[in-house]
Amino acid sequence: MTAYLAHFLVMVAIYAILALSLNLLIGYSGIFSLAHAAIYGIGAYASALAALKLGLGFWGGLVVAAGAGAFASALVAIPSLRVAGDYYVVASFGLQVVVLAVFMNWTDLTNGHAGLPGIPRPKLFGWVIDQPFEYVFLAVAFAVLTWAVCWRLTNSAFGRVLQAIRDDEIAAQAMGKNVVLVKIVIACISSALGAMAGSLYAHYITYINPSSFSLHESIFIATLVILGGSERLAGPIVGAFLLLAIPEVLKFMAIPDTVAAPMRQIIYGALLIVFMLVRPEGILGRARHGR
Amino acid sequence: MRIVLSSLFTLTLLAGMTTAAAPAAAQGNPIKIGAILPLTGSGASYGVWMKGGAEMAAEEINAAGGIAGRKLEVIYEDHAADASKAVNAMRRLVEVEKVPFSLTSYSSPTLAIQPIAVQNKVVIMNGGGQSDNLANKDYLYNNIPVVSNEVGVIAEWLAKDKKLGSAVLIVANDEAGRNAAKTFREKFGAAGGKVLAEEQVALDATDYRAQLAKVKARGGDLLFISSYGRNVSIIADQARELGITIPTAGTSWVLVPETMKSKGAEGMLVTKLPFDPNSAFAKKFKDKYKTDAGFFAVQYYSATMIFAKAAQEAMKKNAGALTGEGVKNAIEAIRSFDTLSGKLVFQANHGAVMDIEAGTLKGGKVEVEKLIKAAP
Amino acid sequence: MDLFLQLAATGLVVGSLYALCALGWGLIYGTTLHFHVAHGAVFTLAAYFAYAAQKFLGLPLALAVVAGVFAAALSGMLIDFLIYQPLERRGAIRTTLFIASLGLLTLIENLLAIIFTPDPLRMEVGWLADSVQLGPVFLTRLHLVSMATAILGFVALMAFLKYSLWGQAIRAVSSSPEMARTVGIDLRRVHLLTYAVGSAISAPAGILVAMDVGVEPYRGTTFVLLASVAVIMGGIGSIPGALLGALFLALLENIGVWKIPSEWQSTISFGVFLMFIVVRPRGFFGRKIQSAEI
Repeated sequence: MTAYLAHFLVMVAIYAILALSLNLLIGYSGIFSLAHAAIYGIGAYASALAALKLGLGFWGGLVVAAGAGAFASALVAIPSLRVAGDYYVVASFGLQVVVLAVFMNWTDLTNGHAGLPGIPRPKLFGWVIDQPFEYVFLAVAFAVLTWAVCWRLTNSAFGRVLQAIRDDEIAAQAMGKNVVLVKIVIACISSALGAMAGSLYAHYITYINPSSFSLHESIFIATLVILGGSERLAGPIVGAFLLLAIPEVLKFMAIPDTVAAPMRQIIYGALLIVFMLVRPEGILGRARHGR
Repeated sequence: MRIVLSSLFTLTLLAGMTTAAAPAAAQGNPIKIGAILPLTGSGASYGVWMKGGAEMAAEEINAAGGIAGRKLEVIYEDHAADASKAVNAMRRLVEVEKVPFSLTSYSSPTLAIQPIAVQNKVVIMNGGGQSDNLANKDYLYNNIPVVSNEVGVIAEWLAKDKKLGSAVLIVANDEAGRNAAKTFREKFGAAGGKVLAEEQVALDATDYRAQLAKVKARGGDLLFISSYGRNVSIIADQARELGITIPTAGTSWVLVPETMKSKGAEGMLVTKLPFDPNSAFAKKFKDKYKTDAGFFAVQYYSATMIFAKAAQEAMKKNAGALTGEGVKNAIEAIRSFDTLSGKLVFQANHGAVMDIEAGTLKGGKVEVEKLIKAAP
Repeated sequence: MDLFLQLAATGLVVGSLYALCALGWGLIYGTTLHFHVAHGAVFTLAAYFAYAAQKFLGLPLALAVVAGVFAAALSGMLIDFLIYQPLERRGAIRTTLFIASLGLLTLIENLLAIIFTPDPLRMEVGWLADSVQLGPVFLTRLHLVSMATAILGFVALMAFLKYSLWGQAIRAVSSSPEMARTVGIDLRRVHLLTYAVGSAISAPAGILVAMDVGVEPYRGTTFVLLASVAVIMGGIGSIPGALLGALFLALLENIGVWKIPSEWQSTISFGVFLMFIVVRPRGFFGRKIQSAEI
């Protein structure tokens, strides 16, 4: 039973990192991305391949993952953030689809549908982290680190520029802030962090394949951010904990797996709708003046 | 007097409750094994057979007194052809249910869970996947021949007996599909044939027209479908719709109800693994599940029976204790098992050999034209 | 050459379906500025409704289709009335509406998955499934019907928008909601009408897919997102643009596989889209946009 609990905690920590990093975009910058699962996947594959093909350990893989995530994000952000927010939504969807196609079809590199088994567990000064609770410590440590980075970022001068852009982009631009550059930077940071979550995942489950990084996963991560609430940084963490608990509860109710999976999604969808009706100023925290 | 009686009663009640709550003692606690099967998705028809076969075997075993007096309980998990789901299911089975053994299916999921099996010393037995990569893996046993066996047979038959000189391929984009296609190229080439084109498809897609149009443009004497499950009937139907008139061919994987019923698959050249639709087993299956049994029903029945025999051996050797390692050693020691399909001998590469039949799909049934006996 | 023609023909057929979806979504987006991703769920609902009407109520094919279209129009209107309009009344911002729409899409698709199972369900079409040979090209009669439906739908929509009073009201709101309100147009009613018309025109696409390869709960998501790409490429607010964008995308995807391995088919649309927004963000016929326009 404890192994089961440990597994749950690791996944909560990983999803907390994903939610915190996506929150930088959705909550603090007002940029809605549907590609976070692709970024998660890029991190996972980059780290796994670095380990399997280049012999880099977990720590090297982490760096490779962050770099790959930031790069992919920049590729999409640079063209799309120059234009309207809705364009970014569609462009991020595009990134999600393309990245998944690469995972599936570039079989020489990724082994396609069959995935990559045998990813090594992390090593710290010669000691292998493979007991369930050891991994919990590692994952939670990373979650705390991510939280700290986000906190520092949002409470700095840079963070204030972000909020200015979010609240009124045209005014911020008029004040001479390079809006597009700021957005691109935050997109890259968000993706670097999200990709690192992918690295954590890959070295934990020791097997990855494209199906874990689909559009539905992106929507799930966005749901975590939205429902967790984004003004306080604790929000995404609480969101991760609660939303990951729902499928476990469903499992205990002995609902057949084929019904449990869609039922989970129905609950998430319903929660999103209710949440929006209850807090229409939504996730951007403060109510906007004069719609 | 009343106080004594009521305290005695309370004590007995408490005692009863604590023994019930305590971890079940050796007496009568069931032996749990896993079964990771395609219960939903494009391979659901295989899942019906596989689950049915295992269930029937478990019922018969329990009716005869269980394994060394203990009841056999099978825990079914769905992988829906997704290796990630299989990995999660395997973790649950190993870490929470502590099974010593699990049935598994499909090549990609099996390959994905095999490292977990090794790490935890849990035996997994595959009765359906045929990728060559499934051979020679520790803790993994296959009671089905790997694909190069069957593909080799059909490739030779098509080239030599049916005199078809060139082929185009439609290939499922997973481990099994690609592996079978690779083997087909080798064996067809060795038998004098030529492969002119190859296009990959997704198992769960519904529109294959672009890929079919491309292979159509290359001509060829036959269309080899290196795929399985529900999509085979769609591929066959859409091929005919696009005006592809050359014969289609596939190994025994393609023989699912959707394919047997489809008009497009009429005349398909297939190989078949031994299965007698008139056997007592088939009749019993049909009565119980209201659907025709298929080859895989027998496979998973046999696999469960093999486990029962191995488990019995293992428990005898280890004073009643049952571990995955014990089961593995038992399988290696016994090696030869009697099954419904005849004698099954596990080879050194952890695979099996079987006779293969080749024939044509006509009116929903396979008309057998040739029997190729298993090489020992 | 034969291969090229066959792929082009398939492209036109698929383009017809994308077009119907894009016309509806584009009409809604252009008029209300709602990023209505739940349109994908409406599209799927229409298909399941038609399927159920045929299978469980025994309706003949044509009537089942009509039933599906009605179901779509009604659902679209209900979504606006029950969810979007209340949100707007409470001062919701655009992103909030998008999120609610996403929630709706997820909810409806998964509800359908539980009711109908995730397996594709095909409608009975009889002789429409027969193959027809036009030169070197093979299509089914159903495919020909799809193309005809798209053309008819486009013409009907254009006529409606140009000549009918309600159509003109929609155009007025689309070009400037403030002005429209000033001249006394009831925005709420126009929105409801837009949803009805937009949903109705996309419904046939979903139903045609159900007739060809079968309806699945999750396909709507892909369609609506492709429709949004088509609309953006065609230019927001332009109906002919949406049609052109859809056809362009579909032809690109299908002819693209002539030279590119077919498994990369889905990446073509998005690669092109990304290039497009760098080079010409306003699309073929759209209004010029500022960088911060939302």
